[in-house]
Amino acid sequence: MRNNYNIQASLIISLLMVSININAADLPPLTHELTSVNKRLAAPELRLQNMDEEIVDIKDLKGKVVVVNFWATWCPPCRREMGSLERLYQATKDKNVEVLAVNIGEDIDTVFSFMGTVEPSPDFEVIFDPDAVSMDSWKVRGLPTTYIINSEGIIVYRAIGGREFDHPEILKKVLALTKQ
Amino acid sequence: MREIIKVCFITFFYLPYIAIAQQSIHTDSASGAISWETHVDGVHFSLTQILPEQVQAFYVNRGFTLKQIEPYSSSCVYMTVLRNDNAPGTIHFISNNWSVSVDGQSHPLVSVNEWVQLLTTNSTKKSSLVAFRWAQFPPEQEYEPGGDWNQGMFSIGLDESAQFDIIAQWDIEGKKYEAKLQGVQCAK
Repeated sequence: MRNNYNIQASLIISLLMVSININAADLPPLTHELTSVNKRLAAPELRLQNMDEEIVDIKDLKGKVVVVNFWATWCPPCRREMGSLERLYQATKDKNVEVLAVNIGEDIDTVFSFMGTVEPSPDFEVIFDPDAVSMDSWKVRGLPTTYIINSEGIIVYRAIGGREFDHPEILKKVLALTKQ
Repeated sequence: MREIIKVCFITFFYLPYIAIAQQSIHTDSASGAISWETHVDGVHFSLTQILPEQVQAFYVNRGFTLKQIEPYSSSCVYMTVLRNDNAPGTIHFISNNWSVSVDGQSHPLVSVNEWVQLLTTNSTKKSSLVAFRWAQFPPEQEYEPGGDWNQGMFSIGLDESAQFDIIAQWDIEGKKYEAKLQGVQCAK
């Protein structure tokens, strides 16, 4: 019994150390470039449940600019960029922009707990891909990966790795898409 | 004769110095983790130690048992970062093709797919395997200049305290590039 307690305590301490290690090490800066996708590729299918267990289908968002972000709570750059994604959403939601954050492999409770720690608290749509089936069709090879889809449903920008989504250069590009 | 001596001097003293000068090592004051990093042809490459207990804690929290994850956690795992800051084009790599050597002898890497197979048993949760797969440094990836990057776990497959050299390789439109880190130590 005491042994089990010691193992659990040691794991909790180690988990905290992982967190310290991940946060305190000299982390690479979050960048603010978006890569233009030159081939006209239609956004693949994306039809998943949200936090309220309702189906969200990207097809229903045609006519809007959609930011699709693949992420997980255990992915350090995903965690770091989440606040800036919310600030992007707040700055653009009244201009026909939606954000879909596709969580990979986790459950609603885990994500809900994490969202409570993000500042500002995310108000955008989070959808769940527990088996990571969308990763193949969206050609995601690492987390986080973000795509920006124009109002015609075409992928126009891609970003691999963490970004500062509320950086003026990214905001400018997203807002420019709403005017096309 | 003097010229030959001069060339030998430059070869044996200056060239190794230039190669080593591209590599920097630092220790995180909070965790004690040592990082090795280099910046070559516009690409940043770094390895940061993760203690076996830290790897265990991460994956036990994702649903693995200690016994299930032990082979991986004890295999010399690093937090690995590759970032295309300003390379002259899109970089493409296959991380399993990177070269690791111990005392000059080539050391084979275990691929992410092989690790997933090794960790897959009747009692392994699917969600644990999904987390394992996607927490790894990508087996294959392309980064555009301007800051595309990934951070992920990368197993070297050596015992604790082992020391090795690693060469990360990538190509830009078929032209090969590489970055070398020397004297990297597995966490104790």
